[in-house]
Amino acid sequence: MKRIAAGLLAVLVLLVISAAGPAGVAAQPKEVVIGVLYPMSGPNAQPGIDNKPVIEIGADIANGAVDLPFPFYQKLKGMPGLKGAKIRLIFADHQGKPELGQAEAERLITQEKVHALVGCWHSGVTATASQVAERYGIPFLNPESSSPGLTRRGLKWFFRTSPHDEHFTQGMFEFFRDFEKKRGVKIATAGLTYDTSLFGADSGKVMKDLAKKYGVEVVLDLQYKERSTSLQSEVQRLKAANPDVWMPTSYQTDAILFVRTSKQLDYNPKMIMAQNAGHLSPDFIKAVGKEAEGTLSRAPFSTDLIAKRPVAAALNALYMKRHSKDLYDFPARSFTGFMTLLDAINRAGSTDPEAIRKALVATSIPGDQLIMTWEGIKFDETGQNTQVRAIIVQLQEGKYHTVWPWDSATREVLYPIPAWADRK
Amino acid sequence: MGFLYALIAAGLSLIFGLMEIVNFAHGEFLMVAMYLAFFAWALAGLDPLVSLPLAALGLGALGWAVYHGIIRWILDGPMLAQIFATFGLAILLRSAAQFLFGIDFRTVDEPLLAGRVALGPLFVGVPQLAASVTALAAFVGLYLFLSRSETGLALQATAQDRQAAALMGIDTQRMFALGWGIGSACVGVAGGLLAMFFYIFPDVGAAFALLAYVTVALGGFGNVPATLAAGVLVGLVEAFGGLLLTPALKYSAVFALYLGVVLWRPQGLFGRF
Amino acid sequence: MAPAGTLRPVLTRGLLLAGLLAALAFPAVFTLPFPRHVMIMIFLYGALATAWNIIAGYCGQISLGQAVFFGIGAYTSSLLFRDAGMTPWAGMIAGVALAVGVSQVVGYPVFRLRGHYFAIATIAVGEIVQALVVDWDAIGGARGVFVPIRRPDSLVNFQFHQSKAFYYYIALGLLLLALAVTRRIERSRAGYYFRAIREDQDAAAALGVNVRREKLRALAVSAALTAMGGTFYAQYILFIDPESVFPLSLSILICLVAVLGGVGTLWGPVLGAAVLVPLQEGTRVMLGGTGKALDLLIYGALIIAISVFQPGGLMALLARARTAGSAR
Repeated sequence: MKRIAAGLLAVLVLLVISAAGPAGVAAQPKEVVIGVLYPMSGPNAQPGIDNKPVIEIGADIANGAVDLPFPFYQKLKGMPGLKGAKIRLIFADHQGKPELGQAEAERLITQEKVHALVGCWHSGVTATASQVAERYGIPFLNPESSSPGLTRRGLKWFFRTSPHDEHFTQGMFEFFRDFEKKRGVKIATAGLTYDTSLFGADSGKVMKDLAKKYGVEVVLDLQYKERSTSLQSEVQRLKAANPDVWMPTSYQTDAILFVRTSKQLDYNPKMIMAQNAGHLSPDFIKAVGKEAEGTLSRAPFSTDLIAKRPVAAALNALYMKRHSKDLYDFPARSFTGFMTLLDAINRAGSTDPEAIRKALVATSIPGDQLIMTWEGIKFDETGQNTQVRAIIVQLQEGKYHTVWPWDSATREVLYPIPAWADRK
Repeated sequence: MGFLYALIAAGLSLIFGLMEIVNFAHGEFLMVAMYLAFFAWALAGLDPLVSLPLAALGLGALGWAVYHGIIRWILDGPMLAQIFATFGLAILLRSAAQFLFGIDFRTVDEPLLAGRVALGPLFVGVPQLAASVTALAAFVGLYLFLSRSETGLALQATAQDRQAAALMGIDTQRMFALGWGIGSACVGVAGGLLAMFFYIFPDVGAAFALLAYVTVALGGFGNVPATLAAGVLVGLVEAFGGLLLTPALKYSAVFALYLGVVLWRPQGLFGRF
Repeated sequence: MAPAGTLRPVLTRGLLLAGLLAALAFPAVFTLPFPRHVMIMIFLYGALATAWNIIAGYCGQISLGQAVFFGIGAYTSSLLFRDAGMTPWAGMIAGVALAVGVSQVVGYPVFRLRGHYFAIATIAVGEIVQALVVDWDAIGGARGVFVPIRRPDSLVNFQFHQSKAFYYYIALGLLLLALAVTRRIERSRAGYYFRAIREDQDAAAALGVNVRREKLRALAVSAALTAMGGTFYAQYILFIDPESVFPLSLSILICLVAVLGGVGTLWGPVLGAAVLVPLQEGTRVMLGGTGKALDLLIYGALIIAISVFQPGGLMALLARARTAGSAR
């Protein structure tokens, strides 16, 4: 029994330690504390690991440690609105699990006394963590989750800078329409494949709705289990249905397997229009970048725009130095969201949550200051950024290039995708 | 895929038949084998097909070590301890892989074999075909070894009656360790073959292992030839389930098949007991 | 467990009372949400593991599909709350009824199986149910269910946004309920039947025990308690999807908690949860962000060590320490 008592004591001690923690330090008024929630461990940690450095760069810009010589970022230097208050970041790990997102958000708000939260990448985690923020009345900025439902919950404290699945998917269908005008090729039938995750289910639903609206017939509607051991039967069915465009939604594992399987089974789609995620991930490009030639995908950001946009190029240099990797979609979105939050805090001139929220509502950032090709950032009453614009990119010679809208394009659309038999 | 499932399952079946222990870390053994094949390719430029013996040997050694390090001590323990020791091993191996190799997805590029052949209206990838043939060959080899060679017969005798075998002068400890070695080597071969066309990451084993358990239980634990039939069946149900039903439910079809068969014959299709 | 002696039961009872008092007083001392959250998780996992212990620890039927009941509990109450406005308490009862019903329908055929065949069959059932829920569009499919937020806090709505204390006491109540049920079973005739089945099913049948009926009873109790845990989880987290309430990994985690603490003992699952949950939360807070799976590494090694050296779990370790102490 003594051991039980000792065990209980140990647990208590542990709790006391976790309770005492660094909470005592937070009281300094000359500091803005921002909690950053991303997956940092577990099999879905890639976005978190790649976003952390870009958030740190953002904080360094505001703290004056790093220089990004463009007016919008210069304005934030030293946070003049708060008379030089320093930004302090606290990173927390949610491993992609909704219940951990909730627990960590609560811990950050009540123990670390954060003034605002940023995160969480996974839509399911964003859902629970933002509810906590709502409960405590703390601004929550979501730079990237794409589930449309997130901004339809009537939350007051939730803001999303990124386009959601409907914007993205709309972009894809607008592309089909423009493509028909320009090249005279009608995209009349579509084959959809999407996985059983939250993201896949959302995407599938939106694609079906919009296909109806744009008069594209869905000839194959296929939901499959993510991380399948084999996708042979799925590809066989695609091949049999032979739609004008194959529209896959996959995480990277399945995206890779799909490409390999269609090569083996000699499935030759004329056009592939992917829903971001797996098809844009660096792992995908590394593994099957050559085989997947011609894959189109919606994207909020493309690496080839770095050269075209001086802001993006400058940030890329900073990111490269810190993380030895080129900037891509995930950190680009993360950075944009984070800077939007800093801008609002700076304009609020205080760390009072209500003041920050009001400043966020009044946000108006011109498009030319962003690294994204958006028209700007302005939130509607649901907290959704209305100035977003999707772009379409295509994999050509192992790299993604912007092909639509035509005025941002760096390359012509490759169509149709060469058949497997015709490649070297 | 069926032959591959069968080969993965065969190792499991062999181990179970020998000492009635289900190795829940089987999928992680597969993962280790795939990483072995990957690093043989990445560091030494060996194609997975070439490094196959290496993977088999490496995994055989792993199996042998696991037997002596863990399994020996719980042979006569409660079934729960057996289940959870191997569960623990699974978690350990998986997180060790993540710790050492990170979570990146890796693939072996440009394997020796590529392309596809037409079998009537169906296309089959050459790597898959080669994998099937090799798996089948490994299977036949395993079967011949078990039923013809003296050591194989000794293994079978140990499986049937531990005490009697010991009385006949068979070193049962050695037999058990050997069983683990051979069983794991089967997974080694399967992992090497799989690495030719599948991506590799720390959690890769889980999905395969689940199918392997079903396959083994379907064929009847411990019955190696029946595992082959069950593996092929699982592969077929998966493929046709995906073609006929919605693919999201194709694994449900496999599991339902298992439930159906097992409830009809509680000892599996060809179970002995 | 308890050796004969007059002093010991008194001592044990005193210690239990002290423990209970400490648990009751905890929220008064620790006002921050995070320590409370950790305790809530300990209670929840303790209750789930205790429920599993009834079917697996006492009755010897190793179920690896407990998540099915958990998910049913979570989904039933949440959907009834969202779509019919029914209080989650009534939803909890509905969830329990549904889970018990499913447990009987599934259990009836599956209990024909023994040993590993049974364990794998429960995995198969769990995987099938998860796939079906994912595919079932009417209840949200993979997109899950948002539990609507109702203000202000109320017991009727089972939502407390101001303070975690209510959640804390409800979770504690759930655990105490699970323990009380276990305690009762332990001392009842059914408890003897369960253990007889665990030790030797054929012998139990020969002695006139209706084996299948007893197994079904054990499963029903286990399913009911697990479903209650599911409802609690849904109301606590306010978002559920198949990935978080139906996964195989949850079923396995429940078993690991019990196995670590000690299977077939009253306090084992609680002890397991009290060790494992803080270990997990602590390592995540301290090591999280490194991108390495160090916590799981420790965890795996711990499980192996327990299985190999002390299959009885931490409880057996304690018992040994105690007998060694009293032998002196």
